[in-house]
Amino acid sequence: MSTASSTLGSSGAATSRRAFHLRMILIVGIVAALEFYGRFVADATLFSPPSKIVQSFFTDIMGDARIVRALWICIVEIAVAYVLSIVFGVTTGLLVGATPFTRRAFFPVVIALYVIPQVSFLPLTILLFGLGPAAKIAFGFSHAIFPIIINVVSGMRTVRELHLNAARSMGASRLDTIRHVVLPHMVPSLFTGLRLGMTLNLLGVILAELYVSNSGVGFFTRLFAEDFNPGPLFALIGSLAIIAIAFNEIVRIAERRLTPGAHRKTIIKTAGKEKQ
Amino acid sequence: MDRAGAQARIIQLAIFALAAGGWYFVTAAGGVSRLLLPSPGEVGTTLLRLIQTKSFWNSVGVTFSSILQAYVIAVVGGIVAGYLVTRSKTAMGVLEPVLAGLFTIPLTLLLPLFILFFGIGPASKIAYGATYAFFPVALNTIAAFGHFDERWLRAAQSMGASRWQTFRHILLPGAFPVLVTGLRIGFVICFASVLGGETIASAVGIGHNIALSAEQMEPGRLYAWIAFVTITAVTLNLLITSIENTIVRRDRK
Amino acid sequence: MSATSPNDIAISIRNITQRFGEEGAPDSVLALDDVSLDIRKGEFVCLLGPSGCGKSTILNIVGGLFRPTSGTTLVEGRSVEGTPHTDQIAFVFQESTLFPWYTVIENFRIAMKFRGMAASEWDDRAMKALKAVGMASFARHYPDQLSVGMRQRVNMARGICVETPILLMDEPFAALDEQTRMVLGEDLSQLLAATGKTIVFVTHSLAEAVFLSDRIAVMTARPGKIKTIIDVNEAHPRSPDFMLEPRFSELRNQCYALLRDEIRATMAAQRDPAGVEA
Ligand SMILES: Nc1ncnc2c1ncn2[C@@H]1O[C@H](COP(=O)(O)OP(=O)(O)OP(=O)(O)O)[C@@H](O)[C@H]1O
Ligand SMILES: [Mg+2]
Repeated sequence: MSTASSTLGSSGAATSRRAFHLRMILIVGIVAALEFYGRFVADATLFSPPSKIVQSFFTDIMGDARIVRALWICIVEIAVAYVLSIVFGVTTGLLVGATPFTRRAFFPVVIALYVIPQVSFLPLTILLFGLGPAAKIAFGFSHAIFPIIINVVSGMRTVRELHLNAARSMGASRLDTIRHVVLPHMVPSLFTGLRLGMTLNLLGVILAELYVSNSGVGFFTRLFAEDFNPGPLFALIGSLAIIAIAFNEIVRIAERRLTPGAHRKTIIKTAGKEKQ
Repeated sequence: MDRAGAQARIIQLAIFALAAGGWYFVTAAGGVSRLLLPSPGEVGTTLLRLIQTKSFWNSVGVTFSSILQAYVIAVVGGIVAGYLVTRSKTAMGVLEPVLAGLFTIPLTLLLPLFILFFGIGPASKIAYGATYAFFPVALNTIAAFGHFDERWLRAAQSMGASRWQTFRHILLPGAFPVLVTGLRIGFVICFASVLGGETIASAVGIGHNIALSAEQMEPGRLYAWIAFVTITAVTLNLLITSIENTIVRRDRK
Repeated sequence: MSATSPNDIAISIRNITQRFGEEGAPDSVLALDDVSLDIRKGEFVCLLGPSGCGKSTILNIVGGLFRPTSGTTLVEGRSVEGTPHTDQIAFVFQESTLFPWYTVIENFRIAMKFRGMAASEWDDRAMKALKAVGMASFARHYPDQLSVGMRQRVNMARGICVETPILLMDEPFAALDEQTRMVLGEDLSQLLAATGKTIVFVTHSLAEAVFLSDRIAVMTARPGKIKTIIDVNEAHPRSPDFMLEPRFSELRNQCYALLRDEIRATMAAQRDPAGVEA
């Protein structure tokens, strides 16, 4: 068994490295094609070649203190909304999942709320919280909290009876059991929730930012679009995409660091790779 | 139903009653401004009045036809592209992480671009909804066909199944549950993104009406529209779930 | 080995070499190195060897699931060129390969449909095979509703129902408890005596190998070669009493001694690179 898996593992590493190279080639190819299209084919009022977008990033985006400030506010909103949704989401999840009964009573309510398309509440949220960061934080928060609650609850539900009994047989107290069995067990599921929560959090904050068009990022996207000025528009959207990627990446790194057992596995895998 | 189940139901009803009652009493007592929270009665009568107007159904029609068009594009594109990707191991290794990575970025960011390209009308929402919903459909198609359990293919091969038989009796039924999940997620995303697109920049449709009611400070109409969207979404969700349960005879582990 | 005319040979494996991946590539594996083996009609042959030595690979090549890197295989005199001879060979795999989206009976029907057998025969044959393994009352269940052992019994019945002269079985009992294993082993021995089927069987259980086989092919660690062939001279159907005979334990110990060296070699090979990495 272990012979088979170790050989397959190393062949997997080789294929994935090749896939990585091909992926890079693909991306470079796409960028080159866009450059060509932007320079020689496209309507300059609708599309900008990548080189112009990068240039525009340094002059129009980084060079404009108002835009830099708008982006900073965006980052703060995303971070605050996320922290709030983790605190309240995990707490609510732990309460809902605490016993089979609370789960049966409250979990369907959470699911039912999750089904409602939140985007229909966007203008109302702005009405309630105003045009500033509060509304965007609220909208990001309301998006992120549901996947977190749901995954915390399902993580608690799938704890194996076998492990609980094992802990009990070793004389573990209720608190010990939660600390050493339930919590470690639900970590992977919690991170699934946190990852999804971040995706939806970004969605919520950015939707609210785009909706409010007289200040912040929404104002500038609208300004550039109405001026048919694609360079800075693409650069601004690109900046937001990079912010989004960075936030996703932070969650992913945290997941890799904090999932029990996952860390060890990575070390062995890297060692196998280096051998080749 | 057992006792614990009945108690759970009672608690759920109590939560619902508390929310509805709270809404009623707070507005009746004048605790909050009518501009932020109109009474349930006002929302109800506004909704009843609205659904008798022609413009209401025009808006609903625009939005739903946009959703439908976007969804058809996303489903056809997502399934075809996803299936083709799974036909080559290399293509899958290269493209699957790219698609999955793109899908974690809020594609809402592209909305200003779609509006730039396709204008303020329904076309930009269709393009935006189709693009967003394409990803879950394609990714689930890849998951369904690309990570298919080798054992079953080998077993079918050992029985001498033809290519078509393998597709019809092995690949398709095996992939179906995952495929259907993609279709459902795709629909939810399509619905929300067309609505969101209309809310942010549009001159017609449900989303536009929601935004307009908020701007004009007409809470009755705003809440009536939200109620309509919520009821529609819940109904559609129930419908989709029941269809899913009938088609996918059994949930595989 | 006694002299046999070519007509008695059911399966002839000639100089099979199997390499996975390009030669010289870092992930290239030489799974089989010049393996030859003749299997007579009505014979029960066990492949015994350390994990990863290429037992499943041999079965897959004989079954026509893929072409070997070099060498030929003849089944009933016809060469297998990477296409399954489904009229002659049925497969029972290591893990249950019942399709979870079909009920038990539907799984049988689809297996016969793929083989192009007449639809009128499907249900009779299916029920006959299910009765043989004591699973007739579960025909309308889905595989997920059965226990692991029940699933594997159905899986075996699906291989039997098509009544091919040759049955290839890849650790069919691996997931079963010992008692069920032994009972099914006896059933298999009876089936062999009654139908004269040729069976190639892979197992990790020494007792099972000795109890069932006419000949045991003991293989070396990877790259797999046939190390020794052990004859078990005992007529089918075999009774459990056979296990009590001194001859039985002798053969069993003989197999173990042969295998132990190979397994130690495999483990040493695995420990070495790991030691360098750590
Ligand atoms: N499709 C494949 N691609 C690459 N290598 C393979 C493939 N199939 C098998 N191998 C390699 O060939 C060798 C033999 O595999 P095989 O499955 O035949 O072993 P086995 O003797 O059946 O082992 P076990 O007793 O564990 O089932 C293993 O080292 C395995 O890694
Ligand atoms: Mg094997």
